[in-house]
Amino acid sequence: MNMLLKKEMRLSALLLTYLFIGFAFMTMIPGYPILCGVFFITLGIFQSFQSAREANDIVFSALLPVAKKDVVKGKYQFCVFIELCGVLVMAVLTLVRMTVLSEASIYRQNALMNANLFFLGMVLLLFGVFNVIFLGGYFKTAYGLGKPFVIYIIVCFFIIGIAEALHHFPGLEALNAFGFDHPVLQLSTLLTGVLLYVLLTMLSYNRSCRNFEKIDL
Amino acid sequence: MNVVELSNVCKTYPSFRLNNATFSLERGMITGFIGRNGAGKTTTIKAMLNLIHTDSGKISYFGTDLSGNEAEIKQHIGYSTGTVSWYPRKKIREIVDVTKGFYRDWDEDAYRKYMELFGIDENKKPIELSEGMKVKFNLLLALSHSAEVLILDEPTSGLDPFSRDELLDVFKTLKDHGVTIFFSTHITSDLERCADNIVYISKGEIKADCSRSDFIKNNGREGETLEEIFLRLEKEVRA
Repeated sequence: MNMLLKKEMRLSALLLTYLFIGFAFMTMIPGYPILCGVFFITLGIFQSFQSAREANDIVFSALLPVAKKDVVKGKYQFCVFIELCGVLVMAVLTLVRMTVLSEASIYRQNALMNANLFFLGMVLLLFGVFNVIFLGGYFKTAYGLGKPFVIYIIVCFFIIGIAEALHHFPGLEALNAFGFDHPVLQLSTLLTGVLLYVLLTMLSYNRSCRNFEKIDL
Repeated sequence: MNVVELSNVCKTYPSFRLNNATFSLERGMITGFIGRNGAGKTTTIKAMLNLIHTDSGKISYFGTDLSGNEAEIKQHIGYSTGTVSWYPRKKIREIVDVTKGFYRDWDEDAYRKYMELFGIDENKKPIELSEGMKVKFNLLLALSHSAEVLILDEPTSGLDPFSRDELLDVFKTLKDHGVTIFFSTHITSDLERCADNIVYISKGEIKADCSRSDFIKNNGREGETLEEIFLRLEKEVRA
């Protein structure tokens, strides 16, 4: 583990952030908008950023023998780590719902989004959106957290609403596939999610590095 | 030999401008950076540490530009700022444990020695420290990685006279080991105790960069102390 990530995990992060990864288990709640699990995981990250700000974390990091842009790198590494932990738990639970529980009536009679590869693609998209809006917004000032997080909340729940509604539109029912139905469509939505996550995170990271260089701490 | 050089460093804020700051620090010398509140001491120090984005000018350490080389240069710099509290609710031991991993030349013996000298308990949290002890903790971090240059922003503020005396003795010992020390202060007696050179800043402009004796010779009147010279110069600037 590199030193920056270690510093983020031991000094900057709150225990709450790690505990909030547990919201990935919302994947198993029947009759519930399961994408909300992503929001709670990002809320955990937000709490760590708040706490770190009060601890003068950014200035402390900038004084360490690292390049200024590496401070940004450390924060992104930490967020990506937490996000991927959430994705991993959600992926395992989705696999359980796609195999062992694929015929379970409580999930079959669910009007809301099913846990499948499309769901995982949307999870990754939402994390990518968090990285663009919240992290990108935060590194414009390295201080202001509220505004980027409120904008993220609005966009996040708008996307969750769209994602929940999509499979009710004629012709898009396959997005709510059970088990391994519609494998090509399902896999392509997952791969699109992966691609968007990587692209959005890289875009946000590069922009944050540029912005952070210009900030007066 | 100059280990730090600032050349025409400018930084403009809406109500303040650091104007063409130019001075240098010699190896193994103690330089006092003096100026009244708001004169530009902290802005200059922040520029020296790349914490602020300067408008123009050049800052170099050991003949190497700070820009593009800050990670390597910071391995050789120690920094401490007054009473700022890092991670107030983490144990000092944990903060130090993470911090030392960043430094190639972390000196555990020096860390233990200064911890004992400053009377710091590593099981305490910064929030449990008095203002003076916070200053000492910041100094402890700055002194424990074999830094060749120490940049200290008002290191004696908040310290009791006995601790201040101890710290100034530490400065002299470090100087004997070739460490370059640059410290800002508005306590002129600190300069009289240990400064070889003086950099004097007023309203964002460096007004003097010379040895202490030259500063007194060039600016002082018959029988004036350093404090009296400083006060008179500031009154002249305001007049």
